Amino acid sequence: MVDSPSSSEPSVSQRDGAVHVRRLRLGRLAATCLAMLLLALSAGCVTVRPSDKEFLSDPSMTFGDEGAAGAHEQHVMSNREGSMGAGSVSGGGCGCN
Amino acid sequence: MQLRSSPRASTLLLIVAAISLAAGARADGGIDLTGTLYHDSGGGLKMTVITPGLNIDGTIADALTLRAGYEADIVSGASVAVVDAPGSGVDAITGATTLNDIRHTASAGFTLHSEFAELTAGYAYGTESDYHSHGFSLSAHSELFERNTAFDISYARGFDRACALNQPRAQESVNRQRLPSSTGCFSADDRTTLHLDLSTYQGSWTQAWAPLFTTQLTLTAQILHGYQGSPYRAVWLGRSAAMENPPEDRARYAAGLGARLWLEPLHGALQLSGRVYRDTWDIKSITAEGAYEQSLSGSVRLRGRVRFYDQNAAIFFSDDYVRRPRGEYFTGDRELSSMRSMTYGLRLIYDVPPDDEGDVLGIFDGLRLVLKADLIRFDFRSFHYGRADIPNTDALMITLGLTSRF
Repeated sequence: MVDSPSSSEPSVSQRDGAVHVRRLRLGRLAATCLAMLLLALSAGCVTVRPSDKEFLSDPSMTFGDEGAAGAHEQHVMSNREGSMGAGSVSGGGCGCN
Repeated sequence: MQLRSSPRASTLLLIVAAISLAAGARADGGIDLTGTLYHDSGGGLKMTVITPGLNIDGTIADALTLRAGYEADIVSGASVAVVDAPGSGVDAITGATTLNDIRHTASAGFTLHSEFAELTAGYAYGTESDYHSHGFSLSAHSELFERNTAFDISYARGFDRACALNQPRAQESVNRQRLPSSTGCFSADDRTTLHLDLSTYQGSWTQAWAPLFTTQLTLTAQILHGYQGSPYRAVWLGRSAAMENPPEDRARYAAGLGARLWLEPLHGALQLSGRVYRDTWDIKSITAEGAYEQSLSGSVRLRGRVRFYDQNAAIFFSDDYVRRPRGEYFTGDRELSSMRSMTYGLRLIYDVPPDDEGDVLGIFDGLRLVLKADLIRFDFRSFHYGRADIPNTDALMITLGLTSRF
């Protein structure tokens, strides 16, 4: 026995419309994310003046400040876990050089 | 024997040369002496790794920094050589085989500086009785927008060689025997060499967003080709045990995001970071870390941190290859099983205060002592030696460092 489509089920054109709406929403979400990223990027380029970098220049605000101790830890953990990479990179960004 | 003595002599020469250069420059140089102890033990299994390291650098005319270093891994322990052998479990663990080895690594490199950019190149040679490695690295660093933005890119290439039993008649991986000892490696006829090539690419973007807030995004990719298992470890496959046989190719990807927020009322910094990872062996992992660093005085800083790590198993991992084989590949590596770890750590940094003339102890521009201790608790959900759980799941890692600038 073959089920006949009932009047409550969406037609082909309605389903296409729903897919179109979903794509539009995804597109808007992607555009919003991109705009926020660009906004953040542009804001970041001009935000902090050199005279305002007292706290950013503190060693505890500097990435990769662990030096050899950090390298030793990464060496141990990469041997004790199945993953690696994307650790802190030293220097830059604080304007304290 | 020549293979072992030559790198040591080279290391010594490099260090002496670097000291001479740094002393000659006088304006800027540094010596870093750091040692780390890693230890885990339990139920007859244990692993102790002592890693002393010496790094020296000297800068000439603010444009060129030369560096040289030496590091060793002094490894001793007891581990299970044949995973899941019949009757294994507590008996197999208590009958674990011992291992002792020392890896020596000598490194040298230079950095070219300009006002807003740096170019760094380096080379490292590592050797131990059963392993040799050559590593080359190249990296660039650039600062933009009033130094609020920094970009780093790096590329590293590694060529590793490991010793294994020469078994020309064992065409199939299930027939290959594990390496019983490092005796005769790289010289005897019954030993052969397994190769591993590594290429690592990394890029990072560091951004100061506000006077109290900065972030760093890091992306890493690594391509490996060659033998990536342990030639000493075998896996029980039913009728016999064979040297573990993971796939030869692996691509690894990781993305990390770190953020640091200065809390002015406390005069300390909140440090948060997260990382996601996946590779073509189908391992996926997440890492989350939170830390707080407090300035106790002008010269003392204390940091406490908690780190969480979780991963699933490699697609070819099985806790029992006799009952649940996973195709042509097999491994006894617990780091390829589904696992989780928690790390609790403290770090104390003491910068020795300068005298009235700005010198430390009369000769240094700066002198820093670092003491770091971490307790790591591993949880291996799907790895057993026969029916026995892994007994050595708690580890201690202690680092002591002394850094001087002159």
